[in-house]
Amino acid sequence: MDAIRIPPPAELDSLDDEQFRQVVRAFLHANYPEHLRNPPKRLHWVENKEWYFRLAETGWLCPGWPKEHGGLGLSPAKQIILTEEYERHGVARTNDHGVVMLGPLVINYGTEEQKRRFLPKILTGEHIWCQGYSEPGAGSDLAALRTEAVLDGDHYVVNGQKTWTTLAMDANWIFLLVRTDRNAKKQEGISFLLVDMKTPGITVRPIINLEMHDEFCETFFDNVRVPKENLVGQLNKGWDMAKALLGFERIFLGSPRQSGYALSRLKILAERMGVWEDAEFQDRYARLRLEFEDLKALYGTFVDRLKRGQSLGPDVSMLKIIQTELFQKITDCMLEIAGENAGLMEPMEGNRDLNIGGLYIQARPATIYGGSNEIQRNILSKNVLELPG
Amino acid sequence: MSAAEADDRAESIRMIRDSAAAVAPPGGDLKRVRDLRWQDPGYDAGLFRQMGEMGWIGLRLPEEMGGAGLGVGEMCALAEELGRGLVPEPLIPAALSAQVLAAAGGKGPLPVLLAGEVLVLTAWQERADTLEVPGTSEASRHFLPMAAGADFFLLPVREGGRLALYELPAARCVPTIERTQDGGTLGTLAPNMAEATKLADDVGEALPAALDEAALVTAAYLLGGMERAFGMTLDYLRQRQQFGKIIGTFQALQHRAADLKMQVALTRASIESAAAALDAGATGDARRAAVSRAKARAAEASLRVTRECIQLHGGIGYTDEYDVGLYLRKAMVMANQYGSATLHRRRFMTVSPEVEA
Repeated sequence: MDAIRIPPPAELDSLDDEQFRQVVRAFLHANYPEHLRNPPKRLHWVENKEWYFRLAETGWLCPGWPKEHGGLGLSPAKQIILTEEYERHGVARTNDHGVVMLGPLVINYGTEEQKRRFLPKILTGEHIWCQGYSEPGAGSDLAALRTEAVLDGDHYVVNGQKTWTTLAMDANWIFLLVRTDRNAKKQEGISFLLVDMKTPGITVRPIINLEMHDEFCETFFDNVRVPKENLVGQLNKGWDMAKALLGFERIFLGSPRQSGYALSRLKILAERMGVWEDAEFQDRYARLRLEFEDLKALYGTFVDRLKRGQSLGPDVSMLKIIQTELFQKITDCMLEIAGENAGLMEPMEGNRDLNIGGLYIQARPATIYGGSNEIQRNILSKNVLELPG
Repeated sequence: MSAAEADDRAESIRMIRDSAAAVAPPGGDLKRVRDLRWQDPGYDAGLFRQMGEMGWIGLRLPEEMGGAGLGVGEMCALAEELGRGLVPEPLIPAALSAQVLAAAGGKGPLPVLLAGEVLVLTAWQERADTLEVPGTSEASRHFLPMAAGADFFLLPVREGGRLALYELPAARCVPTIERTQDGGTLGTLAPNMAEATKLADDVGEALPAALDEAALVTAAYLLGGMERAFGMTLDYLRQRQQFGKIIGTFQALQHRAADLKMQVALTRASIESAAAALDAGATGDARRAAVSRAKARAAEASLRVTRECIQLHGGIGYTDEYDVGLYLRKAMVMANQYGSATLHRRRFMTVSPEVEA
C-alpha cells in the first residue's frame, strides 16, 4: 500500500477509476487519524477538526468543487468511489455543510465578491457552516417555512425559528431559507441568506435525540440584522436554488453500506445467540441478505448512469426507501433474537462493536431524514408512475 | 361465572385501575420517570414501598399469606395502567418473588417484601431468552431487573430431582450492573453459596407457574405502553399540519393507524382471554398456551407499534424530549423479558399443536 504514489490534487481527476480507488486507500492509510475510525456517533467540531484540517492541508477537502475554487474537480463517478472508500475505512463526517451545501451554492449562484469572501474560509476551516431549512411547522412541507426576512435599509431583519440545525452549536455561520414575500405562492417567496452566528439575536438550543446525542439543534432568530449583500442569488429564488442543489448526492441515501454493516452484525449476534444454524433463522437471514444483494445491484445501475454522465431522476427515491427499510428490518431482527440483551444501553460484553439497541435506535430516523419515506413514495407515485392527483 | 360474579370481577378490575392512578395518573406527565432514568437504583424506593402498602406486591397471594387474594385479571389491569405511565418500579419481578416465597411457605423476607420495604429478586435465569430454570448451583444468574436496588436474591438450585430455594443477601453478594435503554438496570449475579440460606426444598412446581404469570403480566405492561404511545400518535395525526392539511387526513397514514389499532386490539383480546383462562383455573398445556399466545403477540406488537409511532411523528418523534421515544425504549427492554416472541410462538406450538375449528 505504501508503494502507491499519491499524486498532487490537481491530477486526481485524470486517474482511471481503479487507480483512483487505490490512491484514495493509500491517502486514507497515510492521513486518516486512527482513533477516529468508525465513531459511534456524529462527531463535534472539537473532535473532527483534526481531520478537517488534514483534508484542508492536503487539498482533498472539497472533492466536488471545481479546481479553480480549490476543489478536486472530481466527476460524480469518482466522488462515489471516494465516498465508498471513506465508508469502508470508517471515516467520520466532518462539519461539512460548507463543503457539501454552501460552497456549491455560492459557486453556482453567488457573486464574485461572495465567492472571494466565503469559499476560501470554508477551505481553511475558518467558517464552519450549518443549515437552517426545516422549521417546527415546515418539515416534509419545507416550502411552508415562515422564518421571515424583512428589508430595513441596508439590512434584512430576520425573525423566526429553525429546527434540526445539525451541529449549530459548532458553527459560526448559518445558511437560511427565509420568507421574503408573504403574498407570493409559497415556493416563490423564499430567499437564500447567509448569517454570521455571532450576530445579536441568535440563540441555539441543542436537542437531545433518541441516541442521546446532541447533534440536532433549534436555532432562534430575534430581530437579527443581516447585511443585504448576504443574500445569495435572486430575491425570492431561494427555493429553486436549494432544489437544484439536490444533485447526485441523493444516491448516497441509498448506499447499501449501512445495511451491509448491519447484516454483518446480525450474523455475529446470531452465532452468539446460538440461532445461526437454525433453519427458520437461515431463511429469515437469506431474505435480508438477498434484499441487500438486489439493492446493491439496483444501486449499481444508478451508479452506472452517473458514470455515463447522466443525471439522476426521481426514481432514485427507490434506493432510499429500500435501503433504509432494509436497515430497519435487519436491526428489528437483531432485537428479536437478542433476548434480554436487546435492552442494554452498551455493546454486548465480549463484542464491543455489537450494540444491538444502539443500532436499532440509529435505524429509526433513516426513514425520516433526507425526505421521509412517505415523501419518497409520493415522489415515486407522482413523478415516476405519474399517477393522478 | 355467573352474571353477578362477572360484574364483581369487572368492578374489581375497575377499582384496581383507579388505584393505579395514584402512581400513574392518566394523562400525567413523565417528568418523574425521566428524572429516574440512569440513576441508581433507577426507581423510587419510596414509591415501591407505597406499592407495598397498596397491596400490589402481594396482589396475587392469598389473604392468609398477607396478600390481597386478587386474580390474574386484576394484576394484568394494574400492569397495563403502570405500562401506560412507564412506571419503573420493579413490581413484576417483586410479585414473582412474592409468589416464590409464598410457595416456600412464607419464609424469609416475604413480609417485608409485601410491605415494599425491601426488593427481593429471583435469580433464576442462566442464559438469555429462556423460561427454563436449570438451577445450576454455581452458575451466574443474568438479567436481574433493577438489580441495583435489590436487598435479597432468591436462588433456585437443583438438588437431586428437586429445585431447592436459597436466600442470598445482596450485601454479601453484589451483582454487576448494566444500564438499559429505558433508564433502568440489569444485573448479573455470581452466586456465593457460602452466604446462602436454604428456604425450601422444592419450588419446582411454583417457580415455572410464577414465571408464566410474570410473562403474562409483562405482556399487559407492554399493552398499556403501546396503547398510550398509539394514543399520543393519534393526537399528533389529528393536529399536525403539513401541505395545508391535517396529516391525519392523508389516506396512507389513516391506513397505517388502522393497522396499528388492529394490533392493539389483538393484543388486548389475547391478554384478557389468557388472564380469564388463568383465573378460571387453566393448568398445564392450556395455561402455557394461553400465556405464550399473549406474550408472543404483545412482544411483537409493542415493538411494531412503538416503531411506527416514531415514524408517524417524523423528526419530533426522534427527540428524547418528546415522550413517544420513551415507549420505544421501554418496549426494547421488556419485549423479550420472560421469553421473546419467538420463544413463545415455539412453545405455543408444542403445547397446542392442533387448530380447533
